[in-house]
Amino acid sequence: MNQNTAIRTLLAFYTALFLAFLYGPFVVMAIISFQQGPEGGPQFPIIEWSTFWYQHVLGFAPPSRVAPLPIGEALTRSLTLAFATMVVSTVLGTLTAQAFRTQFKGSGFVFYLVVLGMMVPGVLLGLGMALVSSQFGIDRNWWSTAFVLHVVYTYPFAFLVMLAIFNRFDKSIEEAAWALGVPPGRTFRKITFPMIFPGVLSAMLFAFTLSYDEFPRTLFTGGREVTMPIAIYGTFAVEIHPNLFAFGVLTTLFSFALLTVYGVLMSASVRRARVRATGMQEDVA
Amino acid sequence: MMELIRLTKAYKGVPAVRDVSLVVQEDEYLTLLGPSGSGKTTLLRLLSGLEKPDAGQIHLNGEDVTYRPPYLRGLGIVQQNYALFPHLSVEDNVAFGLRYRLIDPVTDDSEVKRRVAETLELVGLTGFGGRMVGQISGGQKQRVSLARTLVTRPKICLLDEPLGALDANLRERMTVELRKIRATLGVTFLHVTGNETEALAMGDRMVVLDKGGIVQADRPDAIFSAPSDVRVARFVNTYNVLTGSGQDSVFRTADQLVSLPEEAHGREVGFYAIRQDSVEIDAAGTVPEPGRTSLQATYITSEFLGSRFIYIFRLPDGGVFEVERHLSHSDPVTYKGGETCSLSWNLADALVFDPSGAALETNAFKGAA
Amino acid sequence: MDGAAVETPIASSVPSRDGPGFFQRHGHLLLLAPGVIWMILFLVIPLAMMVYVSFWTQTTFAIKPDLTLKSWTTFFASETYFGALLRTLRIWLTVLFLTFLFGYPTALYIGQFVRNKTVQTILLVACVIPFWTSFLIRVLAWRPMLGKEGAINILLQGLGIIDQPIEVLLFTELSVIIGMVQIYVVFMVGPIAFMLARIDDSLFEAARDLGASPMTIFRKITFPLSLPGVVVGAIFVSVMVLGEFATASALSGRKVNLLGNIIVTQVGSLKWAFAAVIGVVLTVVMASVITVLLRVVNLRREL
Repeated sequence: MNQNTAIRTLLAFYTALFLAFLYGPFVVMAIISFQQGPEGGPQFPIIEWSTFWYQHVLGFAPPSRVAPLPIGEALTRSLTLAFATMVVSTVLGTLTAQAFRTQFKGSGFVFYLVVLGMMVPGVLLGLGMALVSSQFGIDRNWWSTAFVLHVVYTYPFAFLVMLAIFNRFDKSIEEAAWALGVPPGRTFRKITFPMIFPGVLSAMLFAFTLSYDEFPRTLFTGGREVTMPIAIYGTFAVEIHPNLFAFGVLTTLFSFALLTVYGVLMSASVRRARVRATGMQEDVA
Repeated sequence: MMELIRLTKAYKGVPAVRDVSLVVQEDEYLTLLGPSGSGKTTLLRLLSGLEKPDAGQIHLNGEDVTYRPPYLRGLGIVQQNYALFPHLSVEDNVAFGLRYRLIDPVTDDSEVKRRVAETLELVGLTGFGGRMVGQISGGQKQRVSLARTLVTRPKICLLDEPLGALDANLRERMTVELRKIRATLGVTFLHVTGNETEALAMGDRMVVLDKGGIVQADRPDAIFSAPSDVRVARFVNTYNVLTGSGQDSVFRTADQLVSLPEEAHGREVGFYAIRQDSVEIDAAGTVPEPGRTSLQATYITSEFLGSRFIYIFRLPDGGVFEVERHLSHSDPVTYKGGETCSLSWNLADALVFDPSGAALETNAFKGAA
Repeated sequence: MDGAAVETPIASSVPSRDGPGFFQRHGHLLLLAPGVIWMILFLVIPLAMMVYVSFWTQTTFAIKPDLTLKSWTTFFASETYFGALLRTLRIWLTVLFLTFLFGYPTALYIGQFVRNKTVQTILLVACVIPFWTSFLIRVLAWRPMLGKEGAINILLQGLGIIDQPIEVLLFTELSVIIGMVQIYVVFMVGPIAFMLARIDDSLFEAARDLGASPMTIFRKITFPLSLPGVVVGAIFVSVMVLGEFATASALSGRKVNLLGNIIVTQVGSLKWAFAAVIGVVLTVVMASVITVLLRVVNLRREL
């Protein structure tokens, strides 16, 4: 037993170190984002604490030799692309997972064909698509060639999430609805979908996040109008500035805000259901 | 009226239902009794349209509905696990079929409300409409499931082991209520169960299923007193079934000889059955009176069931023999464990079956029929 | 009544004579079609195109569909390119090993030692939170961390552990490996912790009651049962590391070229055929790695 406690303490200590390792660069990034600007570079020491780079990101800073990040356009493109990808891949994933609820010939083939989409490295897929479009004279755009590849990448994730959800879904509930005379389409809308909605939501979250941060596929197929990750990748070639870090901190905070809203909404809907039920109970009593 | 014509269904080559033909009458309570794996759930799924048969036909009021999807059949099904819609209230569960069915949906909300309230009252759930289904007890879920089906006025209501998940007390109450509800609505109930007392208590008619085929279909009392097959005698659980072979006027079982009823003399006999409550217990070695026969067995233990006693004996070959005593007929007797007793019965009460299991005509059968 | 009963069966039994309808038998095809078509058009065809183009003839700025093995011979003859293949394999194996080595104890702690579901979730979410920052920014954040005047050197010098700043930390293969391990280790932790959390507690209790030492329990129970998680994690890490190029170009000062980097450069200079050759090589490597890993665990069954 003592030995066990020792192991537990050791592992807890290790896990703390591990988290420090994960968060280390993040903390450094946050510190450097307050570097003095525009002369201060993305390194220590901090010349002087300032919020210059935040103003720079948001477009309030006076013009300087550091080009502003293309926040407006690139960010809008990225968000639009992520949203479209999310919708399409969730729909595809749900349809395919629905088909997998019954046994059919060739299910193994379809399963691996879909999962292949997340297994093939982005750079290969980007290259393949670039070759296809250059040979067939298809224009490369973030909303066409890049978009279809984003779906190829996120659809398998949505599919796997939905497959796991359906595995736990009690089929007799749908059968009960059919037996009541309700056709399958209506049953799906009224019964199945509301029940699997939390799963759909997490599939959507997955797809959105992956697409928003995607860049190897977009790099070759996105065309001239860049998305946010491509814009950041572009700065690799030239000098990087702390404005990138300020941007990183801002997006992280934004994501946190979204996550909080999501959490609050979820717990609120749970609470509402509970209140409704107990309220009714009091009526009866 | 529903007619099943030579229905056959196999899963991956394993037959689940074979060659079942049956007519389900209007306004009757039909129970389907079978052990687990007898194909009773598969048969129910074929009737409701949730599965398609490999062969055979289903006719509903003269129409062939064999391949018609479940939502066009107008039948109701009450599942074993209730399968309520967990995200809806009791009221919305019951109203679901009326509102969203393809054929003849009820669009008038007040009409829906009226019918739902009416049905909830019928199943004794008035006032529970607003609750979520997660917040009612198992017995109430059962009633909601029933109400949800009945409100749509199905041509036939299929019930898949509806009492299986209830405790003993509730089970007895529901047994009475199900019959009452059915009689009120005049809807045919097809009730599938693995419990013989349930089948006996509920049905106007009873069908015994084994290994995917129908073994016997008759009134419950007829099935109990005159099982047509030794398997039925075993399912109904009120017979001691002895295995052995007939030799002219006697039946050899477990190295003992018992007399055969006269009609079975000289015929091939494989099984011998005697009702548990037709047996007398005497001291070892007692010579049976004329017209009776006896068997020696070792007393093991007894079981008190309120109004009756079950005495359990062991035969020399290790088989178990049970004797039932109603306290209204006689006072309980105590025996010592390991004591040998003589068990005797009237030959006219004995049932005999040929080696394939089919019943041989005897007086006992005639008396029952 | 009789007349109607005779008429209806004839009328209605005609369509049902040939069994269940098309939709009932093939409904799943309609559900599958959109996804399968999408994957064939945008996944299979591009990959096939890549293989095909790798045999085309490369001129200075264009490719011609004349089949040749020239790009292939160039690849295997060139020290630079073949060296990149070896380097990619070396870095992949190192990162794979290190993510396992660093990730397993954490997964063990989260999955097995923390038995409170809420704490477990909090710890897992804590591991995922860094993903809310753009991947590229996370990579770049290693620069001020590892540089000559970076956080690590400042820290170590401040603690008096070293006198001179360590220079090999940044713009070397080491920095690429450190960056990749930090970014990908979570993909190892997640699946392993998931598998470990699924193990029934009573199993450990039974083993302890039988007098098994913690080491024996780990060897005989914990590790074998976590193996599917390790394999799934290894697949994730392999897929991502083998196709990497951003970490290498951000943290190696373009000194470390992986196959991915070469593809990017070749595409940049319109050497399509050559890029395709490297793509095919990468695909073959990837396919063999995944095939071997899938031999160990059935991905479909583990879901």
